[in-house]
Amino acid sequence: MKPENPNSDAALGALLRKARSTPSLPPRFQEGVWRRIEESEITAASPAVGWLEALTAWAVRPRFALAVAVMLICAGSLTGIRVGNQARQQDAQSRYLASVAPNSLR
Amino acid sequence: MKRPLLILIIALLAGSALFASSYLVSRRVCEACGAQSTDNLEWLQQEFHLADADMARMHQLHDAYMPKCAAMCEQIAAKKMELDSALSGATNLTAGAKEKLTDLAMLRSQCQAQMLEHFIEVSRAMPPAQGQRYLSEMERLTLGAHEATEQTMSAHDHTGHVHGGN
Repeated sequence: MKPENPNSDAALGALLRKARSTPSLPPRFQEGVWRRIEESEITAASPAVGWLEALTAWAVRPRFALAVAVMLICAGSLTGIRVGNQARQQDAQSRYLASVAPNSLR
Repeated sequence: MKRPLLILIIALLAGSALFASSYLVSRRVCEACGAQSTDNLEWLQQEFHLADADMARMHQLHDAYMPKCAAMCEQIAAKKMELDSALSGATNLTAGAKEKLTDLAMLRSQCQAQMLEHFIEVSRAMPPAQGQRYLSEMERLTLGAHEATEQTMSAHDHTGHVHGGN
């Protein structure tokens, strides 16, 4: 077995460091990093953004979305029925009035 | 920041569309159901919750009143035509035209009285509470319209002349 040579190890190390390839950064990498840092700082600093995200996350849950959709359909239908009934009632009243009271007397 | 906001806006729009479409469909269906009816007395049954026996009596009274009402309407229409011909081309109000106006007013008041008599008769044929409500409602709808017009005229009168003042 050959005795270890510290000089050759150091030379080998230097050679390996030289040989290690340093990949080139994508274009505008630094700018992108700074932009992300700024965005994350803004998000952390603004409670409104966090609140909005929380609300959105809550609103898009399927169970909640379905419940709201059903509620909206029910509310819309009930309102439509109520308004339609009023219009129907009004129409029936006008027909009765036209049959018993000539326009010239009203 | 933009994405959650966009999602919320889309969700709100979708919700509004859902509400509006269900509202419009149910309203249209409801109105279409009523439009099929041709009975002029349907309103009495709806509004005053009359029984079938009461409605039969209402139909009798209505059928008896209609020829009288039609005859009065014919007289009024004839008198209006006379008045129109008396007024056409005239630059001042002649004695003949004044007479026609008076006759027309008389006919109208007779027609109104006949109409009120019919309303009273109909109200008596209803259960008392409903009859009272019917009578006041019909008075409001027929005579009340004139009062509203007169009040509007008083409110917009800039000459100091006030109708019905104390």
